Amino acid sequence: MTTRAASSDEPDATGSGALELRGIVKYYEKPGRGSVLVLDEVDIDVDAGAFVSLIGPSGCGKTTLMNVVAGLVDPNEGTMRRDGRTVSPDNLSLGYVFQDDRLLEWRTVAQNVRFALKARDVPTEEREGRIEHYLDMVGLAPEADNYPSRLSGGMRQRVAIARALAVEPEMLLMDEPFSSLDEITAGDLREELLDIWRTEGMTVLFVTHDINEAVFLSDTIYMMDRRGQVFARRDVDIERPRHYEDPSVAQREAELYGEFHAHVTS
Amino acid sequence: MRRLARFGWTLASAVVLVGLWWLGSVAFPLVVPGIGDTLAQLAVVLTSPGPYGHPWYFHVWKTAEMIAVSVAIAMVVGSIVGVALGTSSRLESATSSWVYGWLAAPSLVIVFVFGIWFGFDATAGYVAVPVVITPFVVLNMWEGARNLDPQLAEMAAFFGADRYQTFTEVIVPQLVPFLFSSLRSALSIGWKITLLVEALLLTRGVGYMFKRGFDNYDLTSMMAWLIVFVALLVVVEYGVLVPLHRRLTHWRPEAEGVRLAE
Repeated sequence: MTTRAASSDEPDATGSGALELRGIVKYYEKPGRGSVLVLDEVDIDVDAGAFVSLIGPSGCGKTTLMNVVAGLVDPNEGTMRRDGRTVSPDNLSLGYVFQDDRLLEWRTVAQNVRFALKARDVPTEEREGRIEHYLDMVGLAPEADNYPSRLSGGMRQRVAIARALAVEPEMLLMDEPFSSLDEITAGDLREELLDIWRTEGMTVLFVTHDINEAVFLSDTIYMMDRRGQVFARRDVDIERPRHYEDPSVAQREAELYGEFHAHVTS
Repeated sequence: MRRLARFGWTLASAVVLVGLWWLGSVAFPLVVPGIGDTLAQLAVVLTSPGPYGHPWYFHVWKTAEMIAVSVAIAMVVGSIVGVALGTSSRLESATSSWVYGWLAAPSLVIVFVFGIWFGFDATAGYVAVPVVITPFVVLNMWEGARNLDPQLAEMAAFFGADRYQTFTEVIVPQLVPFLFSSLRSALSIGWKITLLVEALLLTRGVGYMFKRGFDNYDLTSMMAWLIVFVALLVVVEYGVLVPLHRRLTHWRPEAEGVRLAE
C-alpha cells in the first residue's frame, strides 16, 4: 500500500471525485501453465474530467484493467475508491466503446442506441430525444434508420460512440476504439472525440498501444509492461487544442517511447 | 433486368424438363407415361367427387397437416435441446453421442417401430415423423448456439440488459439463420418421412395415393399425384419460406438480391 492509498481513507481533500484503483491483482488459472498473472498490484488514479490513457504492448493487461473498472472482470485483489469510499462498478456511471464496435447487425443505427438506453432503464419518453441528440453529435443523424452492415468502419465506430454517450456516463471507457480504422478516419474521430469530451465534461479512460495517439489525446498516461505492472505515470502538458503536426506532440511521443524501450531492456 | 433474366432461366429449365419427359415417353412408352395421359389423369384426380368434397384436397390436406405439426414439434424440441447442448459443455459431453446415435437410426426402422407400437393409426405418424426430423434441428441449433458471439453478450451485460432483452435482441437474432436452415432440413426430410408413413401405415394422404398407384401398376396416376405434390412443395417454398427468409434477414447487405430458392 502506498502513502497515497493511506491518505485516501479520508475524503479527498480537493473533493475531486477521482477514481482510485489500489492494489488490483488479477490472475487466471490456465491448465498446464499454473496461474498467469495479468495485473500485478496496479494502482492508478483517474481524475474526474481528465483524459487518462493506459498504454502498453499487447497482452500487458490494459484491457483487463479497464474491464475491472467496467465490472466485466472481477479482480482477485484490490479496491476501487472514490472520495475515500470503496465503490463497485455498479456505483459508477460508465459508457464503453469496445475495440470492435459490437453493434447488433439486425438493429438499425437508432435501435442500437436504443438497446443501450433500454438496458440502462432510461425512461421511454427520454429515449428518442437522446438517440437524436447523440447520433447528431457523432454526425450520423441521417443514418438513423440504416443498418450497420451498410456503414463504413468509421461510421460503425461512431454509432458505438453514440451508444456509449447516450447512457450519459460520467466516465467513458474506450478500448483501442480506433485501432481497426484507417489513419485518416481515426485522426478525424480523435479530434471529434476531444470536442465531445470537452463539451460533455466527462472523464475518459482510454486504452491504446499507440503512443502517438495517447500523447495527442491524454492528460495523463499510465505505462504498462508485459508483467502486468504499471511502471510509470506521465502527464502530457501540451496545450489544447492539440495538432498532429505540433512538434511537441512528436517530442513527447519520442520521450515516452524511449522510456518504454529503457524499461523493457533494463 | 436481373430478375427477368433469372425468371427466363427458370422457365427455360422447366421447358427442358418437360421436353425430356416427352422424349422419354416417346422412346419408352411402357415405363414413362405420356404427358397427355398424365394431364388427363391429373384432371380426373382434381375433379373426381368424393366423400370429402374433392378427395385430392382431403389427401393433400392430411399430408400437409402431418408435416406441419411434425415440423412444429421438431423445431420447438430441437431448438431447446440444441441450444442447451451448445451452451452447456457438461450436457454436451454427456449427451452428444446420443444425438449422433439418434441421427444414425434409419428412418424406415423408426417408422416400423412406431407402427408396431401405435398400430395402423395416424398417431404413429405424428410421433415417428418428429422423432426422425428432430435430431437434424438439434444438430443445426447446436451449431448455432456454439457460434453465439460472447463479445455481444459482454456488451449487453455491460449496458445492463436483463435476460429477456438479451435473449430477444441479442441471442435469437444470432440464431435466426440456424433456425431457418433447421426449418429447411426439417421440412425436406419431413416430407419424405410423412410420405413413407402414409404409404406404409395409413390409408390417406399423398403417400397413400402413391402406394395405391404402385399397387395397381398405375404409373400415370403416380405421375399425376407427383405433380400435385410438387405443386404443394412449390407453394410452401415460395409462399412461406422465401417471404419468411426475406423478412428475417432484411438487415443483411446481400438481402437486396435474395438468392434463397437455390
